[in-house]
Amino acid sequence: MIRFSAVAKRYPGGLEALRDVTLEIGEGEMVAVTGRSGAGKSTLLKLAAGLERASAGTVLVQGQNLGALGESALAVLRRRIGFVFQDHKLLFDRNAFENVALPLRIAGFSRDEAARRVRAALDKVGLLGREKAMPVALSGGEQQRLCIARAIVNRPMLLVADEPTGNLDADYARAIVELFGSFHQVGVTVLLSTHDEASLARLDCRRVTLAGGTLAGAAA
Amino acid sequence: MRWLRRHAHALGDALRRMAAQPVASLFSILVLGTAVALPVVAAVVMKSVAATTAGLDTEPHVSIYMAPEAGDEDARRVEQAIRSHPDVLAVKFVPRAQALAELQATTHLAELLASLDRNPLPDAFTVRMRTSEAGRIAAAKAAWSRLPKVDQVVADFEWSERLSRWARFGERVVLGVALLLGGAVAFIVAHLIRLQVVTRREEIEVSQLVGAAAADVRRPFLYHGLLEGLFAGAAALGLAAAFAAWIGSELSALTPSYAIDIKVVFLSAAERAGLVAAVAGMGLLGAWAAVSRELRRFAADR
Repeated sequence: MIRFSAVAKRYPGGLEALRDVTLEIGEGEMVAVTGRSGAGKSTLLKLAAGLERASAGTVLVQGQNLGALGESALAVLRRRIGFVFQDHKLLFDRNAFENVALPLRIAGFSRDEAARRVRAALDKVGLLGREKAMPVALSGGEQQRLCIARAIVNRPMLLVADEPTGNLDADYARAIVELFGSFHQVGVTVLLSTHDEASLARLDCRRVTLAGGTLAGAAA
Repeated sequence: MRWLRRHAHALGDALRRMAAQPVASLFSILVLGTAVALPVVAAVVMKSVAATTAGLDTEPHVSIYMAPEAGDEDARRVEQAIRSHPDVLAVKFVPRAQALAELQATTHLAELLASLDRNPLPDAFTVRMRTSEAGRIAAAKAAWSRLPKVDQVVADFEWSERLSRWARFGERVVLGVALLLGGAVAFIVAHLIRLQVVTRREEIEVSQLVGAAAADVRRPFLYHGLLEGLFAGAAALGLAAAFAAWIGSELSALTPSYAIDIKVVFLSAAERAGLVAAVAGMGLLGAWAAVSRELRRFAADR
């Protein structure tokens, strides 16, 4: 599903977020990337989802070399990947339903098909009754789940989540992690990052640890 | 199917944006429409003048009047000399009797003419020239003046040349104003769309994160620019038509005072369609420039 070969990422200004990362994630696998803040977790996830391009090395996703894809081909690939943003990236001028429907609108789904999928996604994250709510009216945990609903509404084969449990209390965090576990169980490849290993305690998944932009060790 | 639906979404989005701010949309369309109406009105005036003068004979021609004592033999010799001239297209001989009859038929001088004991008019030739070059007509005129028994040669071309000069000048003014205001349409729409893009920056960036390509982001704004142009073109036609009707009624009141038929000629269907398409095209161009520029700026900020 995902293959990183000697990947490096430098940001303008000289910050080297990743260095020589080689990693393979199989189809249907669930992988948790752990490490401290600033270890390069977010960068690794963004590269895997095609939101950013590697400075060196190659990133293959579903057999496609992301570095070789043009702007529009990369955009089309992103439609097949669900991404849960650390800061949610919700649009505050539209309601829950419309936020979740955004990727479907972009992909050109019909109104009926889109509505069906949006309700299914909202149902899966437990927000079905709140489709008319504006994001400001939702709690932090509900906003997180809304973001997850938007990530899964396209029925992606790959789901990437950046710190989905950050800023949530322990019970809520566990519920979110279990939600990802349930997606994994139906065959979706899941890649998530966390600095809070406790929330992963009950989760049976492969862990990858980043430290200072390099892979520190991989435990199966 | 998806392709079509994406366009339908973009069109719907653009229409909703315009409907969400009806007053602002109406004003921007009226501003654009008024700007475009200006050269349209000028073009209508030009067309009307052209249609009015088209009824007049504007081809260069030369009239040759024989001396009163000239006989048929003299006229034949002069005719041969004229016909052999290389710049002559056609020669028409008007015998003095026919000239008198025509004069009696077309003017109110019948009584006066009838009172004369002899025909005061000479034999004459009307010569249509192949060229409208003043120099060559003047040369022919000089040559024919020297022919025996020719009284007078009148080259009746200067006014028509002046008229066509003015027509060309007018066309150039209309074209220049049209180009300037066409550019203004593109700039106004670009400014309008730029504001839209900036206020929707967050939506654009999130859309790009969840799979919108630059083309997807551009599409609704391009439709918005296109629609602004379409509506502005239609508004311009409406304004110009109202103006034409307004001056037309005044003109038709003037018509009986002159022998020529003065009327307002509006743009043809093809010209109207062309105008609306051109204005829509300028709107599209302005929108495209604005969105592309802003998207580059957003990308540079990241």
